[in-house]
Amino acid sequence: MNAIDPRIHQALDGELSPEALSAELRRVVERLVTAAAVLAAPLPLASLEPRVMALIRRPVPSRARRLLRWLATPRSITFRVRPVWSLALAAVVALLTLFPIGREGPDIGEHEGIAQFVGRFPEAQSVHVVGSFNDWRPGSIALEDVDQDGVWRATVVLPAGAYEYMFVVDGERWVPDHLAERLVADEFGRENSIVIVRPARR
Amino acid sequence: MAVTGASDADVVARVLGGDREAFGLVVRRYEAGLLRFAGRMLGSRDAAADAVAESFVRAYRHLASCREPARLRTWLYRIVANRCKSHLTRRPIADVSLDEAPPVADPGDTEVELERAEQLALVQRALVRLSPEKREAFLLKHVEGLSYEEMASVTGERIPTLKMRVHRAREALLRVLEEHE
Repeated sequence: MNAIDPRIHQALDGELSPEALSAELRRVVERLVTAAAVLAAPLPLASLEPRVMALIRRPVPSRARRLLRWLATPRSITFRVRPVWSLALAAVVALLTLFPIGREGPDIGEHEGIAQFVGRFPEAQSVHVVGSFNDWRPGSIALEDVDQDGVWRATVVLPAGAYEYMFVVDGERWVPDHLAERLVADEFGRENSIVIVRPARR
Repeated sequence: MAVTGASDADVVARVLGGDREAFGLVVRRYEAGLLRFAGRMLGSRDAAADAVAESFVRAYRHLASCREPARLRTWLYRIVANRCKSHLTRRPIADVSLDEAPPVADPGDTEVELERAEQLALVQRALVRLSPEKREAFLLKHVEGLSYEEMASVTGERIPTLKMRVHRAREALLRVLEEHE
């Protein structure tokens, strides 16, 4: 890539008056300024306001409703299993049913795990956790400080996976969990915490 | 609703206070710039309209996390810029259709208008040859008129990195423009 005279950059960055440039360099500056001016023309598009406001007014379906909709949507699933494998699979299922492995535990599904959220907020009146598992809706998962020691806790059963989350303190202060397994910057300039929920073994 | 002249911080406070309809003012205030930015980034008006509409809805749903409502404009550019880059990751630039092609000549068009349309097509073609990061830097600096500090807030990059991208974008654009002269 051919570098251009640094004075052209200085003039375009407002660090040097174009008057201080030679006629040749000024011509280059004007060419780039003209290109930018051409791009600055507004796009001939209708206002997005009706579309955006209609989407905003539409209530966000709850997680349960979206799960129901997903379950109610017809899907085709094709299994191709050789007879010998289907017999082996049936035997494994029968063995697991007759002789369950593992200890007694909470009633959670095969593809679910337990996420524990803990945060120390001594002055807080309320603490909630919001994240990609509840569409970042404040108020749906509350943490509790049962012994009033300023440490707030919640235990939630979630489908296995990785989730971004934050704590919402007193309904208005969004705080990342610095004790999380990982932190990641999101597109809003915040730092989100990451929790990885692994399927519980039974 | 007499909020037309209200500051961004006031409008954000009204929306967070439960006046959902006040968000319409945010849309009216910033849609032209955001649509232009997304359109130049993606090279497609339809994709730009989708990206900006989705960004506004996301912004509304996460408005409580906008830490500096007075700098709402740069926050919105950040959301749209991320949306555009995400779109370009799924759909490489080579596949982007250029619906900004010069219009078919109309007997009513003046020579100046036709020349301007041709110029736009040429510059847009040069623009899509830049990497998304350089294109973004050039557009934010020279088309949307953001300062390097605001660009850092939009992109999350350091100012020296952004200056370097703008410099490289200018050089690449100039080369393409000179090729076509």
